[in-house]
Amino acid sequence: MAFTLYSLLQAALLCVNAIAVLHEERFLKNIGWGTDQGIGGFGEEPGIKSQLMNLIRSVRTVMRVPLIIVNSIAIVLLLLFG
Amino acid sequence: RGHEIEDPEFRGVHSAGMPASKRRIPVSQPGMADPHQLFDDTSSAQSRGYGAQRAAGGLGYPASSASPQAAFLADPVSNMAMAYGSSLAAHGKELVDKNIDRFIPVTKLKYYFAVDTMYVGKKLGLLVFPYLHQDWEVQYQQDTPVAPRFDVNAPDLYIPAMAFITYILVAGLALGTQDRFSPDLLGLQASSALAWLALEVLAILLSLYLVTINTDLTTIDLVAFLGYKYVGMIGGVLMGLLFGKTGYYLVLGWCCVSIFVFMIRTLRLKILAEAAAEGVPVRGARNQLRMYLTMAVAAAQPLFMYWLTFHLVR
Repeated sequence: MAFTLYSLLQAALLCVNAIAVLHEERFLKNIGWGTDQGIGGFGEEPGIKSQLMNLIRSVRTVMRVPLIIVNSIAIVLLLLFG
Repeated sequence: RGHEIEDPEFRGVHSAGMPASKRRIPVSQPGMADPHQLFDDTSSAQSRGYGAQRAAGGLGYPASSASPQAAFLADPVSNMAMAYGSSLAAHGKELVDKNIDRFIPVTKLKYYFAVDTMYVGKKLGLLVFPYLHQDWEVQYQQDTPVAPRFDVNAPDLYIPAMAFITYILVAGLALGTQDRFSPDLLGLQASSALAWLALEVLAILLSLYLVTINTDLTTIDLVAFLGYKYVGMIGGVLMGLLFGKTGYYLVLGWCCVSIFVFMIRTLRLKILAEAAAEGVPVRGARNQLRMYLTMAVAAAQPLFMYWLTFHLVR
């Protein structure tokens, strides 16, 4: 039962890092999840796949700079306190 | 008398994205004098009395004291300094009051704590025995949902908060009876339960986003609904302490089924708003997905209830 808030934060940081390293051209396009491949017509329902692609693209755009800062802090803290 | 709580942004939170078929029942109850007033204002007479007493006492003290400090305080320069200091403090308090709303939505939170004893009693009864309750719609008044004290269906944060704290204390008690208690374990239990709650909220928000459901289910509403399971957990652990494993399983089983039914009936109105309002059985791919989501959320509650309490009862 050692699931603490701190481990939740760590897991969230790792997940966001994982989303941020998905490369647009080398990977997402090859599995058909590129951002220019998703836009269907102007149907009412976007569908789960296009929502996911939108989510990935927005996370990568928004979290690019904050991730640099948070990762640096995490590296320093882990170096100091193990 | 009371004052109006002016919060147009609060109104906007609940009226944005409402489906067109929502029933709006004009509520005319004798007890509700002002729709936007969440609490009875008892502060005016008392605080004026207290303020006058305190000011008179504070200013009277330096003059009446015979010690050398009195001479120091009666000095005009230090009087000015005191006045300047108090005006600075007042200005700082104003600034904090103005800006606190940006970080913690205080006015929105006030709605969730506008409860009274009768509401708490009825809601607890509903959580344990939801089978006879007929009408699960939240009543609205002029586009804002009615405060919890006037409608037993409205979500509140008082019961989840109190139940969470009681759960931590009961967990400490259970660990103590098994000689496994140490003070940092309490903090660990609290942190663990909070982390699971946060994870649940994030998972549900993510799935609501992916399935593009337009509900008026705010995050705080969701936290309130997910916090209701602590009531059943407390009951189960207490019975387990009194009657051993049999009592624990019986009460926990009963509370699990009740929470399951409660969540389904409440979330059905929020997530499946259009279909539920007409009362037709759910059909169509879109509605089916929403139904699965509702059932998944409701089924996760008993699982969490068992997961968070089974290690407390031996």
